[in-house]
Order: sequence, then C-alpha cells, then structure tokens
Amino acid sequence: MGPEDAAHAVVARKTYGSGDGEVHALDGVTVGFARGRFTAIMGPSGSGKSTLMHCLAGLDSLTSGSVWIGDVDLSSLDDRALTTLRREQVGFIFQAFNLIPTLDARENILLPLLLGGSRGDPEWIDRVIDTIGLRDRLGHRPSELSGGQQQRVAVARALASRPRIIFADEPTGNLDSRTGGEVLRFMRRAVTELGQTIVMVTHDAVAASHADRIVFLADGRLDGEMLEPTPTAVLERLKHLGD
Amino acid sequence: MLRLSLRMTLARWGRLVLTSLAVILGTAFLSGTFVFRDTINRTFDDLFSDVFRDVDAYVRSTSFVETRFGGEQRGPTPVSVLETVRAVPGVVSATGDMQAFARVIGKDGEPLGSEGNGPPTFGGIASDEVVGLWNVESGRLPAGPTEVMLDRATAEEGGFAIGDTVRVTASTGTREFTLVGVANYGDIAAPGGATFALFDPVTASEFLLRPGFVDAILVQGDGSLDDAALADRIDAALPADARLETLTGAEITAEVQGQIKDVLSIFTTFLIAFSWIALGIGAFVIYNVFSISAAQRQRESALMRAIGASRRQVTGLLVGESFVVGVVGSCLGFGLGILLSQGLAAVLAATGFEIPSRGLSIGVRTFAITFVAGLVVTMVSAVLPALRAGRVAPLAAMRDSAIEIVGHSRRRVVIAVMIAALGVAGLVAAANDAPVSVLGLGILGVFGGVLVAGPVLARPVALTLGRPVARLRGVTGAMARQNAARNPKRTARTASPVLIGVALVTAFTALAASIRTEIRDTLGAAFRGDLALTVESRGFGGIPTSVTDSINDLPEVDVATGVGFTALRLGDESRFAVVVDPATIPGLYDLGVVEGDQASLSATGVFVALDKATELGLGVGDALAVATPDGRSVDATVEGIFDSDSVFSNYVVSRAFFEGTTTPVFDNFVYVRVADGVTQDRATAAVAAVSSDLGIGTLQTKDEFIEAQSGSVNQLLALIYALLGLSIIIAIVGIVITLLLSVLERRREIGLLRAVGMTKSQVRTSVRWESVITSLFGAVTGVVLGIGMGVVIVATLSDSGVAGFTLPLTATGWILVVAFFAGVAAAVYPAWRATRVDVIESIATT
Repeated sequence: MGPEDAAHAVVARKTYGSGDGEVHALDGVTVGFARGRFTAIMGPSGSGKSTLMHCLAGLDSLTSGSVWIGDVDLSSLDDRALTTLRREQVGFIFQAFNLIPTLDARENILLPLLLGGSRGDPEWIDRVIDTIGLRDRLGHRPSELSGGQQQRVAVARALASRPRIIFADEPTGNLDSRTGGEVLRFMRRAVTELGQTIVMVTHDAVAASHADRIVFLADGRLDGEMLEPTPTAVLERLKHLGD
Repeated sequence: MLRLSLRMTLARWGRLVLTSLAVILGTAFLSGTFVFRDTINRTFDDLFSDVFRDVDAYVRSTSFVETRFGGEQRGPTPVSVLETVRAVPGVVSATGDMQAFARVIGKDGEPLGSEGNGPPTFGGIASDEVVGLWNVESGRLPAGPTEVMLDRATAEEGGFAIGDTVRVTASTGTREFTLVGVANYGDIAAPGGATFALFDPVTASEFLLRPGFVDAILVQGDGSLDDAALADRIDAALPADARLETLTGAEITAEVQGQIKDVLSIFTTFLIAFSWIALGIGAFVIYNVFSISAAQRQRESALMRAIGASRRQVTGLLVGESFVVGVVGSCLGFGLGILLSQGLAAVLAATGFEIPSRGLSIGVRTFAITFVAGLVVTMVSAVLPALRAGRVAPLAAMRDSAIEIVGHSRRRVVIAVMIAALGVAGLVAAANDAPVSVLGLGILGVFGGVLVAGPVLARPVALTLGRPVARLRGVTGAMARQNAARNPKRTARTASPVLIGVALVTAFTALAASIRTEIRDTLGAAFRGDLALTVESRGFGGIPTSVTDSINDLPEVDVATGVGFTALRLGDESRFAVVVDPATIPGLYDLGVVEGDQASLSATGVFVALDKATELGLGVGDALAVATPDGRSVDATVEGIFDSDSVFSNYVVSRAFFEGTTTPVFDNFVYVRVADGVTQDRATAAVAAVSSDLGIGTLQTKDEFIEAQSGSVNQLLALIYALLGLSIIIAIVGIVITLLLSVLERRREIGLLRAVGMTKSQVRTSVRWESVITSLFGAVTGVVLGIGMGVVIVATLSDSGVAGFTLPLTATGWILVVAFFAGVAAAVYPAWRATRVDVIESIATT
C-alpha cells in the first residue's frame, strides 16, 4: 500500500459532533486500492463506507489521518486544486441524478473534459462509447434514455477522461436486476479490457460479487476483506460482519 | 386551514422573505409617494395658514385670466382704494400686497434663483403695516426708492450683508438698491426655494408693476366683527365700478392652499402614477415567485392530496400563504415607504426645491391604500399558481426539479395574436384620430399579447441570445443557455418586468428624440437670425422689453426682436398667447403666416393658428374678443392665419396690444441679426454687455440656441428615467429571486457538476450568464415593443406638432448595455449561493 496504489487511506478518521454526541464515521481506516482492479466496499448502513468514498474522492475532508490519490495527499489541496483533481484524475458514478438534464448524452460524457477546456483523447472516447454501446443515442437528453442507459452514460462519463480511479456509489441501486447486471458487466469490462481502476460502494451482494476484491467496513473500522468473491460467500460473510 | 398555512409559510421563512421582497418594494414606492405628497401638502397648508394668520379680509380685482396648472393672473388693485378700506369701521390696518416678477442679481453678475422652470423669483412689499407675511430678522424695513429687503435664504445664497448694493431686475428694467434688512417668510428662510426682493409700497408699485397699483390689499380688523361681516362691510364701501371683491382671511387662505396643491399635484400625481406602475411590475414578480414556489412544492402538494386533502384545501394553503406574505410585505413596505419619502425630499432639496420640513404627515388613508393594494395585488397574483397547485394529481411524478410544461402552445399563440391584434387595431384607430384613451387601451393590448406569447417566445429567443455565450464560454455558457431556456414560462415571467420597464423607457426615449428633432427642424427653419438671448420662464417674468429695445439700438446689431408669452382670455378660453413686435420680426423669425402679413399685425389684431381657426370657424377679418388679466377687453380682429410648429401657441398678438394696460409684458426670447460688416464675435460681445449688465438671460449662437431648446426635452426625460428606475429595480429584484429559487431547486445538479470537476468560478459564470440571457431577453423584446409603441405614439401626436419618428439608436444601445450589467448584478448573490451548495448532501441518494 502506498503511492503505487491508485488511492489509499492512512489511519483515516472522520468525527462528527463533540463530547457525548461524538460519532466516529471513520475510526482509523488504513486501506489501499490497487491499480487495474475492481474493488467493492461493503458494510451496513452507518458503517462509514460512503464517508470513506467521499473522503477518498476529495469531496469530503478527514478529521485526522490522510487520503491519497496516487502520490498526492488530498489534505494539501485547496478547493480549486481538489476540483481540478476530481475533474482530471477521478471519475464518478452515483446511484441516481448522474446526468445534467439540459445536456445530451455526448455532452454529459464529455462534461469533465469540457469543464477543463480539453478535448480529451478522441480515440479513447470512441472506444468508450463503443463499449457502452449507445452510439445511436448520443444526441438524446437524459429524459429520453432508460434508467440503464442513463447509468451506462454515467459510466462512460467516468471513463472519458481516463481517470486514475473511478468511484461508484451504489451504481445499480435504482435499477432492476437485469439492467443492473448489464451495467456491472460493463464496469467489469472497463477494468479488464480498458485497464481502469474502480472502487464501488454497495450493500448488494450480487453487485459486489462482480468485483475482484471486497473490503468490509463496520462501525467505521476495517473488518476484513475477500478476494474473488461469489454472491453466496458474500452473503455468508455479511451475516457475521462485526462479530 | 389558515393556521396550517401560517405554519407552513413560517417553516420556509427563506421563501417568505423572497416573496415578501417584491411586495415590500412595490408597496414602499406607493406609500413613499403618498407620504411625500401628504407631507408637502400639509407643510404648505401650515405655511399659508401662518402667512395669512393675521389677515381678516383680502381685497382684490375681480378680473383675471387662468394660467396653466390651475394658477391665475389677476388684474391689479389701485392704491387709492387703500384709504377707502382704512376708513371702514372695524378696520385697524390695510396695506398693499404684491407678488410680481423680480430677479436678484448676484455679486458675480449671475441671477439668483432658478431661471428655468424652478421656483419663482418674486418682488413684493415690506412695510410696518404688512400683516403676517414677513418677520424682519435683522436690519430694518426698506424705505424710499433705493432700499431693498431680501429673504434670508436669498441673502445667504448671494452673500449679501446689510449695507451691500443689490441689483434687481423687474418688468421696468434693472436698478441698484441698498440692502437694509433681511426677513423670514412666516418662520422659514424662504418657501420652496423661491426668492424675494421687498420694497416699500410706493417703490414696489412703481418698480414692479405700475405706479399707483398693487396686486391686492391685506386687511386686519379690530376684532369687533367676525371676518364675514367685516368683508361685507368693506365690499359695501368699495366703489361700485372698481371691479373689486373682498374675501375673508379663511377664504383667501383656502384658495391659496388649493392653488399650491394644484401646482404640486401635477408633480405628485406623476410620482404616484409611476409608483402604481412599479407595483404593477411588482405583481409580475410576485406571480412568478408563487408560480415557482407552487411548482417546487409539487411533491408536497401531491403528498397532501394523497393523504386526503381536497383540491380546494391545497389551493387554500397557497392562498393562505399569499395572505401572510401580503400582510407582512405591505406592512414592511409601508414602513420602508416612510423612509423613501424622506429620501425623495432630500433629493429635491439637493436639486434646489427646498421643501420646508414640518415633520412627516403619515395618514391612515396612506396606510389603508398601501395595505389594501399590497394585499390585493399579492393575493390576486397567487390565485392562478394556487389553482394550478390544487390540480396536481395525488400520485404526481416525484420529479426532482420543477419543470413547468408550456401547455397548449398553439392555443397560447392564437390567444396572444388575438389580444395583440386588438391592441394594434386600437393603435391604428388612435393614429387615425381616435381619442387618447383608445391609444392607452391599444398599448395595453399589445403589451398583453406579448406577455401571453412570452413563454412561447422565451425558448427560441433565449437559445438565440445564448448562442454567442455558448460559443464564448464553452460548456459553462452552453449550460447557462440551456438553463435560461429550460423553463420557458419561468424565463418569460422573470423577463416580463424587464420587458415592460424597457419598453416604457424605449418608447419615452423615442418620443423625446422625435420631439427634439422636431424642435430642431422647425426652429432651424423659423429662426433666421444669428444670436438668441433666452430666459426660460414662460408666463412669469423674463426679459424686460426695454432690454430688447436697447439691444435693437446697438450699432453692432442690424435688428433684434423680442418674443414673449402672456396669459390672455381669447373668446371663451384662457391661453398663453405669443407676443411679438411686428416692426422688427419680419425676416428674423418666421411665424409661418399663410394668410395675412406678419409685419402688419396691428395693436388690436390677432393671428390664429390654422387648426384653431378651423376648429372655431374663424377667418381673416372676423372679430375675436380678447381680454387682458386686468379686465380690459378688446374686440380684436383676426388679421392672419399661421401654420407653423415654431409658434408654441395658438394665438399671436402684438406688443402694442398691451400699451396702456397694467399687464406687464416681458420677452422670453430676443432674436438678433448681426449688422453687415460686424463680426459675430463683436456683436456677441456687444449684446452680452447689455444682457450680462442686467444679469439676465442666456446668450447663444443660432446653433447653440436650437440645440439648447431641443435639449429641454431631456429634463422631462431624465425625470421619467428616474421614475421608471423604480420599476427596473423591482425587475432586477425579480431576477434575483427567480435565480435564487432556481439555484435552490438545482442543488443536486450543481452538486453533481461540482463533483465531476466544475470549479466555483465556473458555477458562478454559469449562473451569471443565465441571468444575463434572461435580462437581455426582456430587454430585447422590450426594445422592439418600445420602438413599436414610439412609432405609434409619434404618429398619433403628429397633428400636435411631432412629425417624424426618430430612432434613438445610441439610447437603445445603452439600454441593452444596462440590461446586460443588470443581469450581471442580479446574479451576484444567487451565484454565490450556488457555490455554497454542499456537494455531499446534494448527491446523497437518501
């Protein structure tokens, strides 16, 4: 674990409130996410998995400890530098409201690049668009796309700038299992075929089983991990989480 | 239900503040102008009660001619009557009263007080017998033909100390006096910025009017009789053929108070009219805010319906909220208005109209009008959105951002076109001599049509206006453009107040530009001389005719002629007639006489304008009864017909007409042609030596004169701009409110954009351009509409002297520039709020 990872956290602590009302969302988490791997973060509600992701992505700040994207310590960056970092080195896929309703699919995919004033790598973008298989829908607005198509556009957007790491927050949470499976298989291909790094927060065992590795979190602490997971093994593991 | 409304309204006090803001501003201007009017009215009421406090009876001439703005010019009263009045039992004292034109010339040679349309400059009587009017503050009363007393404000402004020499110009010319005293009017330095030069009774008559005459007689009784009985007794004693009447102190007080109120009401009515416009524009903002609020709470309304609230109850909630907003906003607006009225008085004081302060006059009526108007406007504005909220289906799509669909856009276009067509029909009718009210209805119709069509226009126009922004600003600009176009209804409603304000500004600007061009053209054609000496005080004072004559006598001058204005009664109407000197005017100023000869106007002749002659059926050789203010009536003969816009009156008489009357005659313009072989510079210096010696008038070359005359329209235009500024402020506040609500509504979107790499400055840029596009949408449509209205109004007025339409290109450009920066300014706070959006919170899925 270290700068060779796509991202890592060192004794990450995040505390809300003070005194008796003090809550530790993250209680000394040290974890790394290797390049070219698909990692899932699992845990019950309130386990701190979303907070960890937000801090790793530069959306939220730690109370103590540090988080790194590559060899950059995020706590050393101001808002402007963090914004640029998110634009250039981080991709996002959220559960819903992923797309800007006033922009069409192509503009949504290119959004981080356009915001940075760059055109990106046309060859790469072509490849991404081919991979998600929505070339004929590029001129459509989000309201004219199905939920699955919207999420695929979101994945393409996350990939467009060829970021160091992509964070996905319950990307299939709003989809039925068939469409969800499509999106997950697509994320899998992005890792396997395009060499991307994805970190996905989920509490769905089936979704998590698409990952190479699962990191478990409970009460703001790391609670073991699992390699090459299967849905059954994940479910079994979840039953004993926090024991 | 009301309690629930109240709870729900207060729970969202941020929105309450925003909605109330529009109500507060709209009502503040209304209450401010009412308080201002009441305050100055009461101030002058008090002032004149004070001034006439000791006057028990008032003797004056029965003959008079009404002048503009509810004033009157009355015949003089012979001084000989004073003895008659003094002899009446019950009279303690009687003294002459005089308020004639007199201008005090400062030590620098410039006249004190306003020479233009400002407060008048008076000459009057000061004597120990004068009751009430003047209180000597320092020095003593003037006595003899070389002494003068000044009011305190004038003495201070001119830097005059007792013993100084003061030059004064009046109808008989200019003289030097020694300052012997300084006085207060009632208990103030000078009322409303007027200046006063006071003389002993004999000097006043002889210098200001005519020896042996005063304006009126002030009488003080011994208290043995009531005022009415005293007046009756004086009336009985007056010579039967003197044409005099006696009023009680209370009657003359009430009359003067009424007159000053009439004069002030022109100004205050103007102010109040523009406050109503401001409130009307505020209504649009209120309507917009309620519409957005209703759309944004669709989910809440749907939930209410789902758990069993009836349509009526959901509608009732919003109406209840509007009631709360109306009550709160109107009350706060009333309070703010009181402050505004103070600001208004301060602005006037700064521009020379000092209004003596006797404390604010805040009437119950003002509160009632403000409160009711604010409440009604608010609730009426909320009715449509409230009904729409009630129609929401219980299982309405739980949409994240409130998108209002423009329903029935074809039907909307048809309705808009129909309303606008009716309006245009009205305008065309008005252009073809229909009454002015038809013009008003026509304008209203066109406005209505454009406003109804707004939502249909908003999308294409916003997209077009936004195209260069998108090109210039990349994706940020593209999003601003799309955001401005995404809710066409909202954009149209937000831009409507801008549209109305800009349309009015443009129309007035176009009208003013056309009038300027008109004046320039007609004066350029009529005035054939080289120099012009001007005093802008039509109807009260001006250039003594003796000055005109002495300019005419200068060797450097070929010929000089004077043109003045005097109130006359001609036939059945009282009018300002133009007074000319037929001996000198030919070839110097063309009256545009089409029948008769302008050189041969006799002492009992009159020229009539073609339109007027046609209206009255008058022709050359017909008789027309003409009466001067002093009651002298002459059977004048129509000696000519003129058809020219360069004569700013329907009648022209000769200067000789007034010989032997007590009516003072002044010139307002002296036109000069330079003698052959004399350079213009030398002639200018010679004329200036005469005029500046008298400290009177503005001497200009022909070009300067024409430019200045046509520029006089700008003063009125500036006032209209200032008043429409109120509406523009409300329109900008409307944009601020809409942007804020839109930003709050798009929290999620902004959070997502921030997450995927939009910088704070890009967020601000995006909001700013959205604002600019909205503002420009209103401004561009407003300019188009305003120019259209301007063309029609100019066409309607074409027979009253305005012939051609002039497009005010520069002004239009400025309007768009101002609209651009108004958009930028309106976006400042909403853009800042947009950067404060909490990314984590806004992207949280639960």
